[in-house]
Amino acid sequence: MNSTRVAAIVSKESKEILRDPILVSVCILLPVVMLFLFGYGVSLDVDDVALGVLDFDQSPDSRALVDAFAHSGYFRVAHVFQSRSEIEAALRRGEIRTAIVIPKGIQSDLVREETADVQLLVDGTHSATALIVGNYARSIVIRHAQSFAGSIQLRTRVWYNPALRSINYFVPGLYAVILMSFPPLMTTLGIVREKESGAVQQIFASPVRSSEYILGKLIPYGSIAFLQILLVMATGYIWFRVPMQGNLWFLLTASIVYVFCTVGIGLLISTLTKSQLVAMLAAYMVALMPSYLLSGFLFPIFAMPYVLRLFTHAFPTRYFIETSRDVTLKGAGFEELWTNVLVLLLYTIGVFVLAAISFKKKVA
Amino acid sequence: MSTRLKSLLVKELIQFSRDPIIVVMILYFYTLCVIICTYALTFDIKELPFTVVDYDHTPASRSLIEHFSASDAFKLVGSASDEDTAVRWLETGEVRMALIIPSRFDASMRRGESQALQMIIDGGNSNTADFARGYAAQIVAMFQTEVAGPNNSSAAAIKPVVRFWYNPNQSFTAFMVLSMIAANTLMVAMIHPAASFVREKERGTIEQLIVTPVTSLELFVAKTIPTFVMGLLAVFPSLLIVWMFGVPMRGSLSLFLVLTGVFLLSAIAMGVFVAVLSNTLQQALLLAFFALFPLMFLSGSMSPIESMPKFLQQLSLASPLRHYMDVILGIFLKGAGPADLWLQTVLLLGIGSSLYMTALVVFQRRAS
Repeated sequence: MNSTRVAAIVSKESKEILRDPILVSVCILLPVVMLFLFGYGVSLDVDDVALGVLDFDQSPDSRALVDAFAHSGYFRVAHVFQSRSEIEAALRRGEIRTAIVIPKGIQSDLVREETADVQLLVDGTHSATALIVGNYARSIVIRHAQSFAGSIQLRTRVWYNPALRSINYFVPGLYAVILMSFPPLMTTLGIVREKESGAVQQIFASPVRSSEYILGKLIPYGSIAFLQILLVMATGYIWFRVPMQGNLWFLLTASIVYVFCTVGIGLLISTLTKSQLVAMLAAYMVALMPSYLLSGFLFPIFAMPYVLRLFTHAFPTRYFIETSRDVTLKGAGFEELWTNVLVLLLYTIGVFVLAAISFKKKVA
Repeated sequence: MSTRLKSLLVKELIQFSRDPIIVVMILYFYTLCVIICTYALTFDIKELPFTVVDYDHTPASRSLIEHFSASDAFKLVGSASDEDTAVRWLETGEVRMALIIPSRFDASMRRGESQALQMIIDGGNSNTADFARGYAAQIVAMFQTEVAGPNNSSAAAIKPVVRFWYNPNQSFTAFMVLSMIAANTLMVAMIHPAASFVREKERGTIEQLIVTPVTSLELFVAKTIPTFVMGLLAVFPSLLIVWMFGVPMRGSLSLFLVLTGVFLLSAIAMGVFVAVLSNTLQQALLLAFFALFPLMFLSGSMSPIESMPKFLQQLSLASPLRHYMDVILGIFLKGAGPADLWLQTVLLLGIGSSLYMTALVVFQRRAS
């Protein structure tokens, strides 16, 4: 391993990257755009749901119930209906998401302490929203009903994220997801492009050894990745005020291991593929999709079927997501998270060993 | 069809068939990927691990715990002897929720006093926490109704009955299958033409095409058709999967195919547009990626559009995927017809044709 030759490759690669305005701006902009979209866009928090009301009772009690919906902050009375068929049409056209049907005689039922059935109709096509809307609606009715009588109150305390801000949950996850989106893709494309154009042959004909070539490629892409994570962390902390309960240095150390892991995955893909399109689709398949969907970033892992829960262990992102969430939100440190870091380390070593083996085979 | 266009198409077809891996990968996105995601992904909570600290130890407190562990939403992983233990489990992530039943729970319930039951939720995942809170409130309300009986004054007097339309058992399957198919269609239909277009630029063969009598329009058409045909054919294996998962088809299949074609055109237009802007494949793929992300994001397939801020809601109108989601969910689940979907169709056509035009103008300006 000769450091001048490595430095030469690094400087060649850096020049190529810096000369490409699209590449540079995508590298800087995309993580920030992703952060802002997630920050402002993704929340399953439902507010302002269009509600349709069909009140057969027209009594002070039924109006109180409708008021409870209107003042809950979740619903907005969009339509008042006269018949059931109108509800159906409005639901189909998407004018309302949910409808409440109050039967006749709710007041007399209340007075007689009997159970009155209030019907809630929810548009079930968007399941995530539907479930939440259903839950909100149900609890509004229950709370409204309970205000008539003494009862057990459920006092819920939410820890680590008391305001239930989605952003506190997404941003630490994004550290992991952004790192799994770019570095593998860029590294792969950086190497496969030279394969496709034949430039790699010239490099192999030079005194540069394959290990030097790989290192020279990894350093610039790894640095970009690391800068991206710093950018996202800073934006998350300063702009979105995501807390940092734990030790920042511990998180940064874990990030370095993870950065190597992601770049290593890119390297492994590049040794196995010949064309850039295939390389990109492969990166999408093994790095990006699983890091979004099977990492616990958006969808909780414990709710998955057993086999797929095992499958999630095959991808490193879940370990880093757990680490970054626990450090930022719970203030966990090395003591609680050393197994995760160890797994990441083993994963990284494994990826590099595999890449080295398959690279040697290709060159020989 | 002109002979020029015909020979261009033959050339595209030959290039396409030389890369069999691509076909395999595309099939993966339309089939296996959809299956895995549908099985794996749900926003709902199932078997959320929880612990309980029971200071009361009466039949009533045990019955309450029973109510929690009998529900699908929660799974009891062990009872803690005191709050400290429960807190430690929460910190290590072994449990996500702890229920604390105070002593004299049973006694004060019998006397009809109001009392507080404590619940601690790990709010790290705010969505999960929100679900857990909602379910817990319902379980407690149900427990109360059962224990107190309908004639007792503490009974909940109004019982909510919730019905979910179009998707009565509220499974995520239908939504997931359909939204995964829509998203993967967008990705493939955008990246494939972009890549085949830019490859000509990288290799310099585009110069050769420009000096031939082939017009830019013919070139665009020739780059569009292979992906378009492939995209339409790839719908069929996914339809098989849709059927396998038992998703109902309430609307018309031919309407679905026609509108899928319209959507494919607008997605391919985006790919062509990206290709015109970039010089290397790396640029094209990164740009495509840069566009794909917000498009998927603003489509409502990840999170509902209603919960986005107003400006993002307006921005989402520019995402063809959003309109296609309306189409695919509407046709399959609601049985929507042309009368319900004409606006989406017009918007898709509008987005597609304006992108093609812009791409054509930019391409001709750069070529000359």
